[in-house]
Amino acid sequence: MTRSVAEAVTDRSGVPSRAGGGRLRLPATTGWRIKEAPAAWLLIAPVIILFGIAVVYPLIDTIRLSFYDIKGLAPAKWVGIGNYVTLFNDSTFRNTLLTTLIFTLGTTVISVSLGWVLAMLCAFAPAHTTPFRGMMFVTFGISEAVSGYMWLNILRPDKAGLLNAVIGVFVPGYAHSWLGDPNTALWALIFVASWSGVGLPLMLCFAAVQSIPKTVLEAAYMDGAKPTSIMRHIMMPLSLPGVRVAIFINLLGALRAFDIIYVMTGGGPVRATETVGYFMYRESMTQFKLGYGAAATVVLLVAVLVISIPAIIQRTAGAK
Amino acid sequence: MIGRIHWWTVILVGVIATIWVIPVLGIVVTSLRPPSEVALGWWRLDTFSITFSAWIRVWDEYPLAQAFWFTGMLAALATLGTMLLAPIAAYAFHFLKFPFRRLLLILIINAFVLPQQVVVIPLFTLWRDLKLIDNIAAVLIPYIGLSFAWSIFLVKNFLEDFPKELIEAAKIDGCGPISTLRHVVLPNATSPIFAVGVLQFLWSWNALLLPMLYLRSMQPLPVLLTKVAGTYESNWDLRSVAAIVTTIVPLIVFVIFQRQFAAGSQTRTGAKE
Repeated sequence: MTRSVAEAVTDRSGVPSRAGGGRLRLPATTGWRIKEAPAAWLLIAPVIILFGIAVVYPLIDTIRLSFYDIKGLAPAKWVGIGNYVTLFNDSTFRNTLLTTLIFTLGTTVISVSLGWVLAMLCAFAPAHTTPFRGMMFVTFGISEAVSGYMWLNILRPDKAGLLNAVIGVFVPGYAHSWLGDPNTALWALIFVASWSGVGLPLMLCFAAVQSIPKTVLEAAYMDGAKPTSIMRHIMMPLSLPGVRVAIFINLLGALRAFDIIYVMTGGGPVRATETVGYFMYRESMTQFKLGYGAAATVVLLVAVLVISIPAIIQRTAGAK
Repeated sequence: MIGRIHWWTVILVGVIATIWVIPVLGIVVTSLRPPSEVALGWWRLDTFSITFSAWIRVWDEYPLAQAFWFTGMLAALATLGTMLLAPIAAYAFHFLKFPFRRLLLILIINAFVLPQQVVVIPLFTLWRDLKLIDNIAAVLIPYIGLSFAWSIFLVKNFLEDFPKELIEAAKIDGCGPISTLRHVVLPNATSPIFAVGVLQFLWSWNALLLPMLYLRSMQPLPVLLTKVAGTYESNWDLRSVAAIVTTIVPLIVFVIFQRQFAAGSQTRTGAKE
């Protein structure tokens, strides 16, 4: 009896058992007086319930619904992989996949490379560029919906749009409907999303460049390296870890983009700016094809999971 | 940096940063000038006068004031919920032992990769069946539930450096698991709890997709803004005021708490939703 108590106490606290059974009977000195597990369940119960409703149930239900044909309030009909077959035969959806790819890569390439270059430039005069970094980071604090609205003002199709007016200086009378032309709408959207998102890569890359040991940079200066070659041969390779994080965050953010598309183009013109994340909304919430929308969501989910594999492995290994 | 200052980089960065804030300047100017003056562009200075007409009229034209308070209330409730529940759970996951602890933890902290599109259809049908459409619980539950992936991760990361001696001392003094949380861990973990609160506030204030779908009679500012901007009238001055009102509170919070935001967004990913 004494032994089992001693073992239990030792197991919980990890403190090696000491001689003298009497002392070991006092759990207060080595472990909790109340049992740990019931207290723990009590503490995490609200989180488990809310997480279950808001994450686990929707995840399972989205996958389940993707195998059904549901139109509006009519009873659901099991169609197996029918929705997926329809999706990949649907030329609109195939176009959406391409749009998603261009939007995701375009936004990530533009915002990360711009943020990276600016971060390295800032590193040559960190104190003097602080207000400018602040100005660019602030645009990151403006929500996507409001950013989209601000750019609608700049991209107005007539001469009251600043972009048209600037081009108009060189080409008199220039007026282009940037968001009304299927050829330019997606690129306008990519540019605005990059504008809105560049603050984060800038900050992440700046932190990465700042963490390069000063001695390395000093040595380069002593050897007479030019700023451009310091950027190319020291800052770029040594800030790669920060850049990788920035790329991952931008890819995830672009894949789940919705607000900016909704505000600026509504997926148009002629569905030219619909990404998968917008397509699922349109099919399920405006056309009421819930099963079809769910199947598109699963496709989005697969894309998200594939790019997240390294991050998931890292987090899982770190969960102790 | 070592060596002399490279002024050309300062100038280059300054020029780019100035171009960067032009769209922000654009709506501020548009909101303050009479529409007749800016018909050919808000930057033109042929005639220049300032008017607060749009700032005064907008409150009558659109239910902006109600939406402002409603948005504030939703964001405050969601923020309180997360600030309260996430640290408690992080404490349990970090300091207590219970079955399935690691499995649950891995599930929760990896959920950060999920896009919000995943909840759209299932919660829409669930709220419809439970008659919860147009109830604020319909958005508060996903706001808080979706926040756990990053909020618990953030607080638990902080607790990893929490001095074990304090916990041991509390045990010796006779504290149970719950009183240790209340008297030892929570008072010493205010900085991550605060950071979590700031992030959650920004996120729930700016949310567009879920309230647009799950609320009907009252709608928060971002949804109202899309309605104001979606009309075909030439109301650029009113739209600009609505956009500024929508973004001013989160923007001020963001500017004040930039540091926490930069740190937190690394764990939350795709912070703008």
